[in-house]
Amino acid sequence: MPQLNPEFFVSQLFWLAVFFTFLFVFLWRVSLPRIATVLEKRQNKIDENLSSAKELQEQAMEIEKKINDRINKAKLETDEKIKETINALQEDVSSQLSSLDKDLEKKVSDAEKEILKSKDDQMKNINNEIANITKLTVGKITEIELSDNEINKVIETHKGSFN
Amino acid sequence: MAAKDSPLKQFEIDPISNIELGGYNISFTNSSFAMLITVLVITLFLTLTVNTRSIIPSRMQLISELMYNFIAQLLSDTVGDNGKRYFPFVFSLFMFVLIGNMVGMIPYQFTFTSHIIVTFALAAVVFIGVTILGFINHGIKFFTFFYIPGVPFYMHPLLIPIEVISYLSRPISLSVRLFANMLAGHTLLKVFAGFVVSMPFFTGVFPLAFIVALTGLEILIAFLQAYVFAILTCLYINDAYHLH
Repeated sequence: MPQLNPEFFVSQLFWLAVFFTFLFVFLWRVSLPRIATVLEKRQNKIDENLSSAKELQEQAMEIEKKINDRINKAKLETDEKIKETINALQEDVSSQLSSLDKDLEKKVSDAEKEILKSKDDQMKNINNEIANITKLTVGKITEIELSDNEINKVIETHKGSFN
Repeated sequence: MAAKDSPLKQFEIDPISNIELGGYNISFTNSSFAMLITVLVITLFLTLTVNTRSIIPSRMQLISELMYNFIAQLLSDTVGDNGKRYFPFVFSLFMFVLIGNMVGMIPYQFTFTSHIIVTFALAAVVFIGVTILGFINHGIKFFTFFYIPGVPFYMHPLLIPIEVISYLSRPISLSVRLFANMLAGHTLLKVFAGFVVSMPFFTGVFPLAFIVALTGLEILIAFLQAYVFAILTCLYINDAYHLH
């Protein structure tokens, strides 16, 4: 087996030492720091972007909160206005209703008065008619001329029994 | 030395240029060349793909970042915050073994991770480093690592030697695991490649199809062994911080 031939052991070890040392030093000093910087730069960029995204999110949340507040406020204001309008309308309606009631009452009482007055008038007319009729009837039957006063007296005394 | 058509011939080391230093033969070989390719691939890929340093990565940059995050995650999962300072080492180890294995999957290309001396050297670095780390963190108390609490006292004469042996065999198991996997996989590929040539008529397509499937499996193993090497290194580092 050529591996166990010690002829080139020293040569192998020498060149291994040379090349591996060179590789180690080169990677340690040149290549790995380069990759590390790139990775670090990327991580920084990512962190930066993440933090700015977080900031923006916070701002968005704040704006959303403001919007919600405004919406709530507007809702409350609208509710208040609706209530006020309803109240005002109700008051208006009730005042109009009461004035209508008053008007109606007045009209009713006026009508009642009218009716009473016309009734009285009618009663007076009836009395007169009665007196006239009585005068005429008595004159035709008995040829006695009765004065108006006498007839009225008789009517007054018997008024209760007519009604 | 293996025979000329042996499946083990692929593991033979051929010097590209003969160099000698202080009486030692340090020839630049095909193995060294594979290491050079591996190191070049890793450094160029990790440097060029991240050159733009763009925040939105290109596909290639994404691959580099994925590897980075993969090992970083592995370390933080196994060792925790203490592991960060060993990241360059574990990452280099992982990439070196991974790309070394992958380069070895290129046909006719040498696989340096199939050499026990290479894997053992890597495992020895991990083992010695972790042991030193353990003594730095815990001083003489590091020896309590071999003492398992909550075990009846009469078991300790048996358990402590077992613990010591298992600790000392760590570099061997770590290196042999990688070495044996690579050796077996590449040998198997070569054996079936020999069948493709030697089988009569069209029947050679069957071992060829098997080679295709096996290549997929080998690529999986190449990744898996690099991952195992890295995760065991992480676990050993963790042991150096947290004794039992």
